[in-house]
Amino acid sequence: MAKTLMVVDDSATMRKIITRTIRKAGLSVADEILEAGDGGEALEKLKSSPVDIVLCDINMPGMNGLEFVKQARQDPANANTKIIMISTESAEDLIHGVKADGADGYVTKPFTPETIQKELSPFM
Amino acid sequence: MALAQESLLQALLDGTRDVFETMMFMTVEPSNEMYEGIDGEALLGSITFEGVIEGCLGICTSLDSARAIACNMMGADNPDTLSSVEIADAMGEVANMVMGAVKGKIVASGDDIHVSIPTVVRGTELQNSLGDDAHEITETVSLDESIARLTLLYRFPA
Repeated sequence: MAKTLMVVDDSATMRKIITRTIRKAGLSVADEILEAGDGGEALEKLKSSPVDIVLCDINMPGMNGLEFVKQARQDPANANTKIIMISTESAEDLIHGVKADGADGYVTKPFTPETIQKELSPFM
Repeated sequence: MALAQESLLQALLDGTRDVFETMMFMTVEPSNEMYEGIDGEALLGSITFEGVIEGCLGICTSLDSARAIACNMMGADNPDTLSSVEIADAMGEVANMVMGAVKGKIVASGDDIHVSIPTVVRGTELQNSLGDDAHEITETVSLDESIARLTLLYRFPA
């Protein structure tokens, strides 16, 4: 069964690129991929439209990705939602920290379709 | 934290190569031609950083080159279908990704650098400034058929 996805990034262009890359990676995803411009908008959309997987940027104005993970994990409704961070940040302590807060995966920008496929495959 | 200009220049070039080759499938090489500015209007994508080192990274290129970058990045079939907002947004993302790559190469474990949200401006004779006490690294690179001007302004906080 196709998975439902949401892409969270303040850049509309980057949301398009991530969406295109997911489709290019040949993963079984729903026709409509939801989008949000920051963590706060993503939390609101998750309430009305829960998804299987959220791909979320970290460095965003408004609610950033680190805060989004913390708040999303406080809501039991999101317990089964997988959260994959996508960021230019590559520091090991940051990656360990956000995973400890509840993120299930981490992709560093720049990325290839193969990188996205590898990170998402365990959750498909 | 002591970083030689040569190390920063190499990090800037390597980071730019990583981003352009992975996301835009474009080859980046230092240009041997004398830089005489960019003809006509240009786009300058910039991002600031602060921490153990602070400053500003900028990538400036012509509108046509920015359109080609955005086209490759977004996988668009026709560059003319891209809006000016999409092209500017793409340039901001390029600055963001290059900054991330540079940061990954120059920051030692335990050190931290906080990075801003990228900004993009359009105009002529564009350049960033960080005051007289800043160090400056500039490099002109060829991007396939066009050029881009990379600038890294930085200083170490007292």
